Amino acid sequence: MTSFATKDAGVRFLFDRHRRVVTPMGARLRRGVAETWGLRGVSIEAQPGEGIALLGSSGSGKTTLLRLLAGIYLPDEGTVEVDGQIASLLSIDAGLLPPLTGRENATLLMTLGGVRRSVAIGELDDVRQNSSLDVQFERPVSSYSQGMRARLSLGVSETFGASVLLLDEVHEALDHTFRAVLEEHSHALCERGGIVVAAGHDHPMLARLCTRGIWLEDGRVRLDGAFDEVRETYLATV
Amino acid sequence: MDVTSPGAERRPLERGGLGAWVDALHAMAEADLRFRYGRGSGRLLKWLLDPYALVGVYLVLVTFVLHRAGPSPGLSLACSVVPFQLVIATVTNATGAIHARKSIILNMRFDRTLIPVATVLTEIAAFTASLSLIVVMMIVYRVAPTAQILWFPLVLFVTILVALGFAFPAAIFGLWFRELRNLALSVVRTLYFVAPGLVPLSNTGGTAYDLLKLNPMTGLFESYRAIFVFDRAPHTWELLYPSLFALVLLAVGIPLYRAEQGQFAKVVE
Repeated sequence: MTSFATKDAGVRFLFDRHRRVVTPMGARLRRGVAETWGLRGVSIEAQPGEGIALLGSSGSGKTTLLRLLAGIYLPDEGTVEVDGQIASLLSIDAGLLPPLTGRENATLLMTLGGVRRSVAIGELDDVRQNSSLDVQFERPVSSYSQGMRARLSLGVSETFGASVLLLDEVHEALDHTFRAVLEEHSHALCERGGIVVAAGHDHPMLARLCTRGIWLEDGRVRLDGAFDEVRETYLATV
Repeated sequence: MDVTSPGAERRPLERGGLGAWVDALHAMAEADLRFRYGRGSGRLLKWLLDPYALVGVYLVLVTFVLHRAGPSPGLSLACSVVPFQLVIATVTNATGAIHARKSIILNMRFDRTLIPVATVLTEIAAFTASLSLIVVMMIVYRVAPTAQILWFPLVLFVTILVALGFAFPAAIFGLWFRELRNLALSVVRTLYFVAPGLVPLSNTGGTAYDLLKLNPMTGLFESYRAIFVFDRAPHTWELLYPSLFALVLLAVGIPLYRAEQGQFAKVVE
């Protein structure tokens, strides 16, 4: 059963005196290191079938929370528990390498995700079909539009059998055709007991994807509840 | 259930265990090679000619222009240039390897240990083409291969081990001190010049002879010369010392790298 929970989770960033991010060990080798918490004391739980919208101004911690859930960031304090396979669309390029074809990128993403190469190769026709890329699937990703890149990434996640989908404003930069595909995909995922977490500023679209809203401010959860209620409270402060 | 807390790395998406790890390594190296050599019929030619463009000029100079003393000077030089090319190319790419994979690091979770290993694998693919330089020099000097060539797989293994040893610390150095990458490369390049790269160790003497042996590259270069120039088996120290040096680098570099890999996404953005 798909679910996730964070308990008092925090993500810390260390900066050197030139304001470049450094690792904790790297910080010991530099002078004038300052720290900022991108997230702090975040405790949330998600149940199967939930669509969760992350609201908040830029720099409030939405992307940091999505990356924490994706396992891209590790918590510097607290814990994160995820039960389910995660797929993420956290940037326009979605982890794709431009010189590689759609087929090669799909193979790379699946094998990096832990799928055996032979299995991944056997699934490529499904990815091609799920992404609706047709002949473009055999062409380098550098020739793709943003929407095609997102479709490929989504096609891989669909084939992957991911049960948690993380979206970071990517959907907002894409055309209406892809938005419709994404909405359909997200609803189907939630109906199957999966979870969708989407961050962004396009509230009408978030309302179609999500029933729950979490308002983040300065890396902390300001309000967690029904999407409409959270949105109204958030907008009242903007 | 996948639980993550400070200090604990999330386990990778275990679907196929070690086999899946090897497959992912293969896929990453394949992607690197596509970057480097492109696609189409020209890529084989580029792969073959790259080492000649990089170091071939020195060999031409030594073999056909400068008349130096000693047995097969061009072949002797190739025996140092070729293995060193794998080491320096590995360091060059490893120092930028984490930033080069920014788009994947920022979008998905995977075992980041793959990055330096894939770098070495990519360089090995390039290195195999540079072995043809030795073959060409053997033809030029009319040196026939002898039974000593049976040592070559072991010598090759030590060469790869040394490159792998450098890969992890180099990757971390590139992460910590991105602005000092060129300095790091210069330091590693110095290892060539404080080893018997231009002349065999036997052509040196006194304190220099003893000091040069402290450089792990010395053993590596001399083991190539033993097989291809001097028709003898490599001395034990020539293989053991670079191997121990590489194992020390790995013993320090891998734990350091693993401790830092959870922070990569923060730094590369």
